[in-house]
Amino acid sequence: MSGIARAKWLLAAPVGAMVFGFFMVPYLNIVVMSLRQPSTTQAYGPGFTTDNFVKAATDPLYVVTLLDTLRLAAMITLITLALAYPVAFHLARTESRWRGVLYGLVLSPLLVGVVIRTFGWIILLANNGLINQAMRQLDLPRLQLMYNEFGVVLALVHIFLPFMVLPLMGAIQGIDPRLEEAARSLGADKRRVFLRVLLPLSMPGIQSGCILVFVLACGAYVTPLLLGAGRVHTTTTVVVHQLELFLWPFGAALALVLSLVGLMVVWLYARLSGRVLRGQS
Amino acid sequence: MTQLRIAGLEKRFGEVAAVRGVDLEVAEGELVSLLGPSGCGKTTTLRCVAGFEQPSGGRIAFDGTDVVPLPPEKRDIGMVFQNYALFPHMTVRENLGFGPEMRGIGAAARAKKVADVLAMVQLVGYEERYPRQLSGGQQQRVALARALVIEPKLLLLDEPLANLDAKLRDEMRFFIRSLQRRVGITTLYVTHDQAEAMVMSDRIVVMFEGRIHQIGSAEDVYDRPATRAVSNFIGQSNLLDGRVAGGGNGRWRIDTAMGPVSCGSGFAPAVGDRASAMIRPEAIELHANKTDAGCFPGRIESRYFLGNLAEFRVRMSDGSLLIVQQPAHAAHAVGAEIGVRLPAERAWLVREDVA
Repeated sequence: MSGIARAKWLLAAPVGAMVFGFFMVPYLNIVVMSLRQPSTTQAYGPGFTTDNFVKAATDPLYVVTLLDTLRLAAMITLITLALAYPVAFHLARTESRWRGVLYGLVLSPLLVGVVIRTFGWIILLANNGLINQAMRQLDLPRLQLMYNEFGVVLALVHIFLPFMVLPLMGAIQGIDPRLEEAARSLGADKRRVFLRVLLPLSMPGIQSGCILVFVLACGAYVTPLLLGAGRVHTTTTVVVHQLELFLWPFGAALALVLSLVGLMVVWLYARLSGRVLRGQS
Repeated sequence: MTQLRIAGLEKRFGEVAAVRGVDLEVAEGELVSLLGPSGCGKTTTLRCVAGFEQPSGGRIAFDGTDVVPLPPEKRDIGMVFQNYALFPHMTVRENLGFGPEMRGIGAAARAKKVADVLAMVQLVGYEERYPRQLSGGQQQRVALARALVIEPKLLLLDEPLANLDAKLRDEMRFFIRSLQRRVGITTLYVTHDQAEAMVMSDRIVVMFEGRIHQIGSAEDVYDRPATRAVSNFIGQSNLLDGRVAGGGNGRWRIDTAMGPVSCGSGFAPAVGDRASAMIRPEAIELHANKTDAGCFPGRIESRYFLGNLAEFRVRMSDGSLLIVQQPAHAAHAVGAEIGVRLPAERAWLVREDVA
């Protein structure tokens, strides 16, 4: 092995050890756990079983929750994409001297923890929150803004926006503005310039942004828990509930099913959008 | 066939005036070049005609119809960009079909148009290639074909050859020019390369600092430059500064430090005005005998062999230095005392700035 090759391995070693020790091992542990019997005195009892997976994949209660989770994640992804695109476009193309500030503003939500931001939304959206207090002052009916999917989606869209804006911005910055002018000169109005030139060329950014947000939304826990307040069930909240019931093996199986189904959705999506991407790179 | 008319065009970017009152008419089927150094306003003028910039003042009319209120997609122009701006996610066929499709032309008619224009730019067989799979010259021809396939009223080219290597650039000059003649399309061509402008254009518009200094043929701008800036930008020149001593009928005498010089002029200066006579290096005659009639005495300070020419630096009696070009094997040795004759018919009076 040459010196450089050895140095590469040495440099990769700390990350490799981290990934192995704190990611692979626990994950394998979850896989093992999911195949065990529950126990009230330890993480799991002796003996192996596939019952947990059969229940997770067939019991309508859990299947419906899983489908709800995927539906919410897809909805959040699409809304985030629609909101992030114009922002990303402006940020990518602006020559304003405030560019750095605008960039910072987009990233600023990341500076505050997700729990804090969720509480912020509760202050706004609760039945006696700021918005409903204002409604009462104006003698308007109370709005149901949380304890439902609306509140969860709203807060998660806000939280995930930067994860969509950043990859989109990268992709849009790579599109030569002359291409828009060329399309205009050939007779395309602004709408068709967007549909035929900008959108296809933004696909790499759309793809990574959507995958990122979808995966994050599937795994979101604190926000659905606090803003849903027991009325919005996602697979993550149900998994944690199993832990409280000392059904750790079943919780592990549910979590694995969510991971697997989520991965399949991402894989399908990547394949489909990859078809659009072909011929560009 | 379209006639382009630009009148009093102005464009300001904040405090900066990029175009300051440009008047220009381009006749049907004519190819006119906008020539000048970077920042002279030539590209801004072109972009105003294309509709990518909104003029701050003035009129732009195609066949007498004001197009300033129209967006670019309604102006019916074909544009070729310096970097070609081919759509990277579309094949050659799709790039060429884009314009006709935007104009609502059906698939069959579109295929015919694309095939025709591909034959015209000699790229048959490249239909399914993506732009990145083409050489620079091929991309350039696709860009040209994409602009022409929509049969636009006006062809606009923005430094289309600047990204090609020298040999290909020479070929493409003639290719574009013959194609433009064959199609007969009115064309506005932006370049900073004087040789390109001279080879390609019916007329050349020389611009500096947002204003037109001269409009004319290649011979006009080279032999009879209107201003000092034009004579300096196009080719090499010797400028002899002095005052107008007298003359008339297009022939004037300038008193310069080395003595009186006769020159032609396109305008009538006032006697006593500051003025400069311009003479090209190859127009100057060198005489072995410095006392020959009409000669100024000079001394050869250096000599360079340029292959097809020999270039001399000649120090004159008043201390000024003239650049002189002679046939390559002209036998004047460095240090020789010689006679320098400035033929009046090749000397030209230039203004300091536009009138």
